[in-house]
Amino acid sequence: MLTELNPSQITAAEVIVGIPSYNEAEVISYPTQRASEGLVKYFGEKNSVIINCDNNSPDGTRDAFMNTPTEVPKIYLSTPPGVRGKGNNFKNLFKKSCELGAEAVIVLDADLKSITPRWVKNLGEPLFQDFGFVAPLYVRHKYDGTITNNIAYPMTRSIYGRRVRQPIGGDFGFSGELAEIYLRHEDWTPEVAEFGIDIWMTTMAICHDIPICQSFMGRPKIHKPKDPGASLGPMFLQVVGTIFDMMIKRVDFWQEVRWSKPTAIFGFGLGEMEMPPPVEVDIKRLYNKFQDGFDRWGAVWKTILSPNVYKKLSEVRTLNFAKFELPANLWADILNDWAVAYKNRAHEREKILESLIPLYYGRTCSFVVAVEPLNIQQAEEVIEDQCIVFERSKHSLLTRWVE
Amino acid sequence: MKKILIVDDEEVIRMLYGEELEDDGYDVVTTGTGQGLTELIGKEKPNLIILDIKMAEHNGLDLLQDIRKEFYNIPVILCSAYSSYKGDLKSIAADYYVVKSADLTELKQKIKMALEGHAPFESTPE
Repeated sequence: MLTELNPSQITAAEVIVGIPSYNEAEVISYPTQRASEGLVKYFGEKNSVIINCDNNSPDGTRDAFMNTPTEVPKIYLSTPPGVRGKGNNFKNLFKKSCELGAEAVIVLDADLKSITPRWVKNLGEPLFQDFGFVAPLYVRHKYDGTITNNIAYPMTRSIYGRRVRQPIGGDFGFSGELAEIYLRHEDWTPEVAEFGIDIWMTTMAICHDIPICQSFMGRPKIHKPKDPGASLGPMFLQVVGTIFDMMIKRVDFWQEVRWSKPTAIFGFGLGEMEMPPPVEVDIKRLYNKFQDGFDRWGAVWKTILSPNVYKKLSEVRTLNFAKFELPANLWADILNDWAVAYKNRAHEREKILESLIPLYYGRTCSFVVAVEPLNIQQAEEVIEDQCIVFERSKHSLLTRWVE
Repeated sequence: MKKILIVDDEEVIRMLYGEELEDDGYDVVTTGTGQGLTELIGKEKPNLIILDIKMAEHNGLDLLQDIRKEFYNIPVILCSAYSSYKGDLKSIAADYYVVKSADLTELKQKIKMALEGHAPFESTPE
């Protein structure tokens, strides 16, 4: 059962800004106010509403949201008590969007500190120009978004053939038509119901040949970035699990994709680029977690990896900290072997995903060391080179997949 | 036969690239200006566009955005004497970025990849 507060009794809206949340009472007012300003300034001629899709937060998120002064009306939706998950919040948003007949739905992270009203324009306007999905382009610190840089972006690009730089950015836009498509698909897994939702939405948009646009936000994403080695949390398992699940379900689409294609770009030229705040990384901790992984998971890795890949990985293990490198081509082979093992249920799937974590730490360590002397643009070229490696490994992946 | 449109204000480049690509079996159309480019694309229906960046009267990166608005999926390879434009965000709307050279090996490889986009794997890619 859904909880809904709709004090303005909104029954129709052309533009929606949705803010999913769980326990964001302290921060949600900021993006809510900016969203309202953006909707008034850039979509003033359209009916709009701001919707908080919440997991029945006990910290007062609902009141913080509803009490935020805005010119635009607000609706609060909540999953029932005990039902958590960002994906479940999105399901409520999809349903409400269809109910209200929305043409454009813009989603913003509740903890966003760097949003300006212009983000609403840049994520929403392309939806009125024949685009169905808008992904953000923002400057992020080279150490921020390591799951995106080393897994989600190269895999989405190489497998599905579309270059979406921030496939799990958290801030994006989709059309009302795409909301209907999302609702029609019942392939929700528990992972999609949680943090897997972002990559699921991006992948579904690509697989349905929805015109995709990447929109430049102008400012960096400033939220709550974390040292990648400090606390991985359940997000890793849910995102990677969803990537592998989608590969199984969408094989008919991606086996026909050879090389990736770009998207259209929107919203560039917004003035001087502001630099993101620094992110501290404990590289030694990443290295140690990689090494510890061999002790815990080495026997499992041997059953998942192709013999030559395991051999190369064993060589990497012998490298001391000063010389450590887990190169991109090995990393691509590892992820390809993992995807195949997941499909074939070489072990219980949760075990397969968990056992990947130390290898992710190893790759992250290697990546951070490689880009440490580089500026953001140069680090982007390292990521780009890695993507080409992934694309070139596609044939090998497909060969193993259909064996 | 696949058709390639070359957009470059330097006649020498248009001739050099045109001849080599025709020798490789492509049908080649060239233009030295970005004026009326989208109309030309609509008329010629190329399978791929090679687009210079620094032209006397037009900026190829701006032309690229115009192309993308009307022709979402058409492969475009940016071809410039300068590598510095890679840092311009607008360049990511292109399929590939190639620095100009007398050796067209890389350009030809990127043409092949851009045209293959969706194709069965018949052989191991390079």
